[in-house]
Amino acid sequence: MNILQTKDLTKYYGTEPLVVKAVDGITLGIEQGSFTAVAGTSGSGKSTLLHMLGGLDTPTGGSVVVDGQELSGMGRSELTIFRRRKIGFVFQNYNLIPNLTIYDNIVLPVELDGRRADAQYLKDIVKALGLEDMLGRKPGKLSGGQQQRAAIARALVSKPAIILADEPTGNLDSHTSQEVIGLLCATGKRFHQTIVMITHNDEIAQIADRTVRIEDGRIVEGR
Amino acid sequence: MKAYKYTLFALHFFLTAAGLYFLWTLRPEGGERVFLCMLLVLFWALGLGYYLYFRRRFIGFSEEICRRAEQIAAGGGEKGGSMAEHNQETLTSKMVMELEKMEDITRNCLLESEREKEQLQKTVSEIAHQVKTPLSNIRMYQDMLAEPDAAEEEAREFMEIIGGQLDKLEFLIDSLVKASRLESDLIRMKTGSHRVFPTMESALNGVVRKAEKKGIGLSVCCDSHIRAYHDVKWTAEAVGNILDNAVKYTPERGHICIEAFPGEMYVQIRISDTGKGVRPEHYNDIFKRFYREDEARSEEGLGLGLYIARNILMREGGYIMVRSKLGEGSQFSVFLPIAPSL
Repeated sequence: MNILQTKDLTKYYGTEPLVVKAVDGITLGIEQGSFTAVAGTSGSGKSTLLHMLGGLDTPTGGSVVVDGQELSGMGRSELTIFRRRKIGFVFQNYNLIPNLTIYDNIVLPVELDGRRADAQYLKDIVKALGLEDMLGRKPGKLSGGQQQRAAIARALVSKPAIILADEPTGNLDSHTSQEVIGLLCATGKRFHQTIVMITHNDEIAQIADRTVRIEDGRIVEGR
Repeated sequence: MKAYKYTLFALHFFLTAAGLYFLWTLRPEGGERVFLCMLLVLFWALGLGYYLYFRRRFIGFSEEICRRAEQIAAGGGEKGGSMAEHNQETLTSKMVMELEKMEDITRNCLLESEREKEQLQKTVSEIAHQVKTPLSNIRMYQDMLAEPDAAEEEAREFMEIIGGQLDKLEFLIDSLVKASRLESDLIRMKTGSHRVFPTMESALNGVVRKAEKKGIGLSVCCDSHIRAYHDVKWTAEAVGNILDNAVKYTPERGHICIEAFPGEMYVQIRISDTGKGVRPEHYNDIFKRFYREDEARSEEGLGLGLYIARNILMREGGYIMVRSKLGEGSQFSVFLPIAPSL
């Protein structure tokens, strides 16, 4: 079953005759529980695609259906709540809030939703990502790899329908990249999460179950 | 339902109690008494009204949840259809989404078991395909042997070929049994925090002779104190499979280097060779069952070694990655967890 489905998704910038087609008719289905890598060079439209999948950007045409719900039919506040409950994000620059502790950063999406984090689940995630000793620290005191691990924990904690990762190892050195990507894959499998990851690096993409290659806004491989 | 209802109830209770207290202690007369009594009745009625109102809302909420639960149990029905209940800041919306999540998990479990069945069918047909070739070879040579005019010299040659095919079959069946036991979780890993060096040593023991035959140089670099959470026997098998491939695809007088580095979460064992390398587009494929690159077909093999290696490592909470330059060599990195968290 597809947890995410796009149909003829397009995103154009500018007006005729100077139209830039960032995403040009992408139809893509993501199976529940899978780890998909979307690979492509910079400027191929992969980040725009990910932003549209996560409801961070509105498409020019086509549709995105996540967990049975069509994103284009939602209002702004509905979309905000939808993102909070159904989508976990992992960004290249971690996006942790600097004046909150790692613990507060991790539980933030759940607490914003007026709920409490499932204590046992949280404990498991923290242990799996090796964050036990860092929960009381501020993000600024941690290395890039540790911050990204905290960001992965934050994405996992609300048990979202899908995790979208935008170049999660873009700011990390080669060795840390391999560790973080291994952890993302292992925790995804362990907690039965669906993950879509954007990357320009074939080495990083190899860990995924499936690789979709994008060039000039179109899928060229891995439909 | 918001928390203010409790404040309202408490306030009414307090005011009614205070009224009763005044009535009892001050014992007002005439108009004051009537006024106080009316006030008390008013408070009582308001309290009852609030109670009934909130009760009705609670029942409505419970019924809504039950209705949704029934819908979900009946097969999801209009999931995503009734947008009114989705993406709202209400308790009903949160409950409905949680229920849907539960349904997703249950359905996913069902799908998983169906997928496993499909996988099993695929495995059986792949095994049948793999066994067919050596079996038909054996059959063919056996038929030739059975012919009355077969020369003694020829017969010995055929017997040797049959022997070779039987070895191949035996190796295939051994590997298949291992792979299927790993897949179906029949193998219990004895994982623990062990030193990595002896594991690497036992993996190397399996390939030293083959490497010597081809004049391939082997170098090992590993701090003897490095520890990782792994099963010694199975990890040696996984690393051994990678080393075996390295020896197989490295030309004569090549070089293979095996190193170990501790990281923050994993210990990395890196196996580099000066072999023919892997194309980047095949990085994923080489770990698939029975996959063999076209360039690799000239060498003997089944396409199970790396598949088994990856399965072993995944069972231990580790993983494997490859980096390669075509024609210059490959670098396989095995990651073993430092702690038993995964």
